[in-house]
Amino acid sequence: MRASLSRLLLMLVLSLAGSAAARAADARLMLPEFHTLEAKASESVSVTLDSSLLAMAARFLDSNKPEDAAARQIIAGLTGIYVRSFTFDSDFAYPKEDVASVRKQLSAPGWQQLVQVRSRKDHNDVDVYVRVEGDKTNGLAIIASEPREFTIVNIVGAIDLQKLHELQGHFGIPQLKLDDKK
Amino acid sequence: MSDDLEKQLREALRHVDPPPGFAARVSARTQSEQRHRWLAARHRWVPATLAASVLLSLLVAYGWQLRHEREQGLAARQQLIEALRLTGEKLDLAYRGVQDASKPTVPPDTGDT
Amino acid sequence: MTDGDACSLCDALARARSGDAAAFTTLVRRHQRAVYSLALRMLSDRGKAEDLAQEVFIRLHRKLALVQSETHLLFWLRQVTSRLAIDRLRREPRYEQVPLPEDLPLAAESSSGDPLLQQQLRALIAQLPAAARAVVLLRYQEDLDPSEIAQVLEMPVNTVKSHLKRSLERLREQLTGEAAVPAPRTDDAPL
Repeated sequence: MRASLSRLLLMLVLSLAGSAAARAADARLMLPEFHTLEAKASESVSVTLDSSLLAMAARFLDSNKPEDAAARQIIAGLTGIYVRSFTFDSDFAYPKEDVASVRKQLSAPGWQQLVQVRSRKDHNDVDVYVRVEGDKTNGLAIIASEPREFTIVNIVGAIDLQKLHELQGHFGIPQLKLDDKK
Repeated sequence: MSDDLEKQLREALRHVDPPPGFAARVSARTQSEQRHRWLAARHRWVPATLAASVLLSLLVAYGWQLRHEREQGLAARQQLIEALRLTGEKLDLAYRGVQDASKPTVPPDTGDT
Repeated sequence: MTDGDACSLCDALARARSGDAAAFTTLVRRHQRAVYSLALRMLSDRGKAEDLAQEVFIRLHRKLALVQSETHLLFWLRQVTSRLAIDRLRREPRYEQVPLPEDLPLAAESSSGDPLLQQQLRALIAQLPAAARAVVLLRYQEDLDPSEIAQVLEMPVNTVKSHLKRSLERLREQLTGEAAVPAPRTDDAPL
């Protein structure tokens, strides 16, 4: 009796752990290779930081530097950061099909669109998605389509959106003033 | 009897000289052994040098590994900073977009007054 | 030994420790009689005694750095000689005397007493078991007291005293029962 109960508990724990892993895996998007984009781009940035690389990076963050300190706070609880960004010499030199495959993944259960921006003036399209489990956010995806730049950001893990917002003022990102008018 | 016996024993057991040339033979042997020891010590350098080389190689490899790990770590940090910069930039783009969209649109001044 | 002799010996020891070959030879010459005599009376064979005595000094040469003083040196020489001799006796079957040529000069110092009795005593000592033999030699040849013998042979003091008591009793019995003891051979070289 005791043995079967222990076995049952073990199976429950394993299934929960498996679910958590699966849930984390769901928050990670399958990003295409973007070989075509890379070939056309004048500049490209590709970042793949899994949990081990994040831990390695964290060891070299200098808490005395404000941006490093901000980074350290953000990555606590994260299990992955994946970024693909391409800059082109001409407008909209990238095909929309590549973006479509990523958007399709964001229509899966769990993902919620937080922000959708379509700027006719600047022709900037930005979509921000979050993946929520209960009351916890365990995934973030940003697809930013600008005339000469295309960027996909996928962050996996326990995300603090407030801290992400506080990235403004760091890393060369201008602070957004609420009364900014143009 | 006992005292006499002990006295006789002492007399019987006085020191005797070793055969002539004993000290010279000892000296020759010690010098020969010293030469052999010197030669052996020279050869002992071979395993010692080998051990030292192995240790040095290990230290060099360890140092290389540390340097490699440091390079990897610094590269990972750089990637992280870049990723967070891009994330912040795109979020900022989104926020600006939201802010722009929330501004009331002001009709153009037609000058009809 | 005079104070001057003592100083020169200490000096020789210090110089030998620093690699002075001549100083080491001085040490050998100073102590060769004691070492050789002990080896000879333990092994009852001149050739093997010289071989053992040389071995003792070779070992001394290797371990010279460990010798701290003249007293320590004496102790060391007696200990190593006794140990090596006991080891060889235990390894080899009952040791037999090698007859020596008669023209070999007798090296013993002039002594009072009965030379025949002394010769007999030496022969009887050569028949004692190895450990008892070493005890008797260290007592009557080297003039050590039982506690010193105990340290040299790394033996309990009571064991040393027991060996001494039994050995003297045995010698006395064998001497008083002289008629039963075979007469010593004329070619028996002084041991």
